[in-house]
Amino acid sequence: MFELFAYDFMQRSLLAAALVGALCSTIGVFVVLRGLAFMGAGTAHAAFAGVALGYLMGWPPLLMALLFGLATVWVTGWVEEKGRMKLDVSIGILYTATMALAILFIGLMKTYNAEVYGYLFGNVLAVTSEELLTIAGLSIIVIGAIVLFSKELYFIAFDQEMAEASGVPARRIFFLLLTLVALTVVISLKTVGGILVFAMILIPASTAYQLTHSLSTLTWYSILIGVFCSVGGVLISSYWDVPSGPAIVLLATLLFFVAILLSPKRQRQSLAVN
Amino acid sequence: MASHSSPIIHFDHATFGFPGVIALEDISIEIQSGEFIGVIGPNGSGKTTLCRAVLGLMAPLKGHLRIFDCACDELRCHHKAMIGYLPQKGVVDRNFPVTVLETVTMGRYGALGLFKRPGRKDREIAMESLSHVGMDMHKDTALGHLSGGQQQRVFIARALAQQPQVLLLDEPTTGLDITTQHNVVELVQHLHEELGLTVLLITHDINMIRSRVDRLMLLKTRLYAAGPPADVLKPDILSQVYGKDLVITDKDLVIVEDYHHHH
Repeated sequence: MFELFAYDFMQRSLLAAALVGALCSTIGVFVVLRGLAFMGAGTAHAAFAGVALGYLMGWPPLLMALLFGLATVWVTGWVEEKGRMKLDVSIGILYTATMALAILFIGLMKTYNAEVYGYLFGNVLAVTSEELLTIAGLSIIVIGAIVLFSKELYFIAFDQEMAEASGVPARRIFFLLLTLVALTVVISLKTVGGILVFAMILIPASTAYQLTHSLSTLTWYSILIGVFCSVGGVLISSYWDVPSGPAIVLLATLLFFVAILLSPKRQRQSLAVN
Repeated sequence: MASHSSPIIHFDHATFGFPGVIALEDISIEIQSGEFIGVIGPNGSGKTTLCRAVLGLMAPLKGHLRIFDCACDELRCHHKAMIGYLPQKGVVDRNFPVTVLETVTMGRYGALGLFKRPGRKDREIAMESLSHVGMDMHKDTALGHLSGGQQQRVFIARALAQQPQVLLLDEPTTGLDITTQHNVVELVQHLHEELGLTVLLITHDINMIRSRVDRLMLLKTRLYAAGPPADVLKPDILSQVYGKDLVITDKDLVIVEDYHHHH
């Protein structure tokens, strides 16, 4: 197994996986606590529609993914804030509409384009050096923003109304969070793909949620689990020659169920019931 | 009754709501520093709108609102951190990963501003706030593991951690059992006396607060009456607002039937 580490492509993909794992699981903490899971799933599909349009028109696919992703989070965030429509309805509509757009764009392409499908399913083993640099650069920006605004992000995740009432610019922080979610999705598209990226945001944080009562411990557990699953998934993928995206996500899912079984919260609850 | 001279909250013929929907109309009142004010009125009478206005989250459609030395007509005010707010009790997710001390420390965030981390002084303020509400023993407990009354105490401590001048409480006793309700109101009175806080307490439970407050504000879209409890709690005034929900017993106890919170 260790001879795998000698290959350049392997080093690149392990590094990319670790970065994406850390990034997704960090933002995931706030997504899970603020209850934005479904919104994120919708964003991932919108971003994929952007990629498809990019390939169709010959525009940069990742830039288009970013524009589509941002438009989706901002519209859904605005709808949530105004409370004009139930959030699950508005996201459900945007989610399916952007997926329809993606299928339409792919259908309009004259030839079969395998690269587009790469963004749908992801292939971390095919990450190039330039892509790794982009991932690293954007990850630093997103994680930097999270570190800078972590206390406000925690506060709005816990209670946005309270945060606003006590003088925290809660609205702007909420839209910052949405923007960071869109950026994270776009950064991760190439490695885990549009369908699976949201698992990487959701599962490590949800797993950590089972294990602790402290906000800061939760974040560290989540990052640890995210990096472990990403790197472990890549190793499994190359060792047994299975697709990397599913290997990462299924490893994370397995850990999630183990955490549920071992959760101190669950045990305390069943004690309370008895 | 506190006899300070400077009004710290001044409603001047202020109307609040959205165009077409008036929640509060033509409110005029001056609230002095150090007063304990009870705000009463039936459901939908604009009590929560009053809260939002005082918090600087809602500008008057007409008239003026001045809080501390800042005009709030533009919502460009920076007084939010000076008002400690206890929102209506929502359901706290049992499993939300936050400890008591972490919850209270959040009260410092608004005053700290962006980019600054809570330091030793902030933790000291948070601990002091916890001891004011008698919860310092529980600082490392998960918030979700506390009883409803204990959680209210922690949220009051979070408001105190802002080192506010005004404590604004929106239905702080809702959903608590009778003993706990009394404990919470007693705590608020204690904080009012001990820390010299101006208190605005919104409630549907007149009996709980009538003996404790300096003044009552009786709301039903308009401000029907404002003054010492003895002047406001008169059958002719109350019946204008509550109609047939008002029952007055022979012991002069005012009981307002409340369909939402009947224990």
